[in-house]
Amino acid sequence: MTINPRRNLANRCNALKSTGPRSVVGKWTSSQNSRKHGLNSAPDFESSIEYQALVELIAEEGFSAFACADIAAGLLNYRRVMDAYYDTYTGPEPVDEFLRDANMKTSNPIFSELLSPSGSEPQDVREMAAFFASMQRQERRKGGPVSRRSSDTHKLIRYQRNGIARLSRAVRQG
Amino acid sequence: MLYNVHFGINVDVAMTVEDKSKSLLPFLSSPKLLPDESEAEFQSGLQSLLSELDNPSPLAVALVSQLNECLWWIRRHSVDKELLLHEAMARLLSKAGSNWMGSGNSALSVALGHYLDGGSDKDQAALIEEALIDANLTLSDLRVRAFKDAARHIKMVDDLIHRQHQTIRHLQRSIDSIDYKSRLIRRMDLELAALESKQSVKGALSLDDKSS
Repeated sequence: MTINPRRNLANRCNALKSTGPRSVVGKWTSSQNSRKHGLNSAPDFESSIEYQALVELIAEEGFSAFACADIAAGLLNYRRVMDAYYDTYTGPEPVDEFLRDANMKTSNPIFSELLSPSGSEPQDVREMAAFFASMQRQERRKGGPVSRRSSDTHKLIRYQRNGIARLSRAVRQG
Repeated sequence: MLYNVHFGINVDVAMTVEDKSKSLLPFLSSPKLLPDESEAEFQSGLQSLLSELDNPSPLAVALVSQLNECLWWIRRHSVDKELLLHEAMARLLSKAGSNWMGSGNSALSVALGHYLDGGSDKDQAALIEEALIDANLTLSDLRVRAFKDAARHIKMVDDLIHRQHQTIRHLQRSIDSIDYKSRLIRRMDLELAALESKQSVKGALSLDDKSS
């Protein structure tokens, strides 16, 4: 695809019009927009009081200082994963019942007038109907609340696998 | 001094190991449960697991409570498998019958849930039977079709259950290694104490010889 210089310039001018967040708080807020569970961020366990208390407890079991640090961090990391797992399980994306159950032609008077049985409606109406139908297909494919929470928690399997492997390795090598 | 360890555990660093393992219990055994789950049942499961350990250390208690949580997740996911089937059955009935527009999928889903549990009222039973006739299906046919329909999600739940089994295996190995380590340390302590007592007896005897 070739880039039209005039189109490119127009795009850049239009982009300047959109302000986006300007304040520090606004920028921080928008930086969290795509945050799902926070498990990809690097945690700082060492500075938490939980970590210190755990290290002291584990140290009394005869583990070396390095092993204590590893085990405490592994345990806190595993708990972090399992908390995210619980949160994902209990808060799946809600089902849009209107979108899922609606029959556009019969339930929406505007569409029922616009959409003629012979299919001779204007192009933009047909496009709108197709868009609605694709949204509806997507919504139905996601299934009900149980299907949603299953597929959401399924995405966290790899974090759980890594978390328990780290903890188990730390304990056994300690 | 009291430390607030993850989830609100209170651990006094001046306590003995046994006291600490006891103080870890309320913290680690106060999990995040769903509204319809019994905490007493969760606690009794944890206690029965802990009773299998001989004088568990705080770390062992922490690992056992994670293991108990895994068992709890397996239970939840097993229930989910059945619920997925119910969801798919309701969806198939809605698609096939005239209920898609009328009562909606969720009303049919609730009615089906009660119907399958045997706790449906007359209206719900009538709704389901009518929907089955509309769809030209028996209940067992519907279940088979629903299984096919929900296969992708059921596979996901199976993966989740499998993951919990793997986690339990990891935790068991970790608990075993702690147990082995503590036994080894205890044995070494005993041997050291025996050696020290032998040395002291020898020392006393040699002092007696010199003095005589």
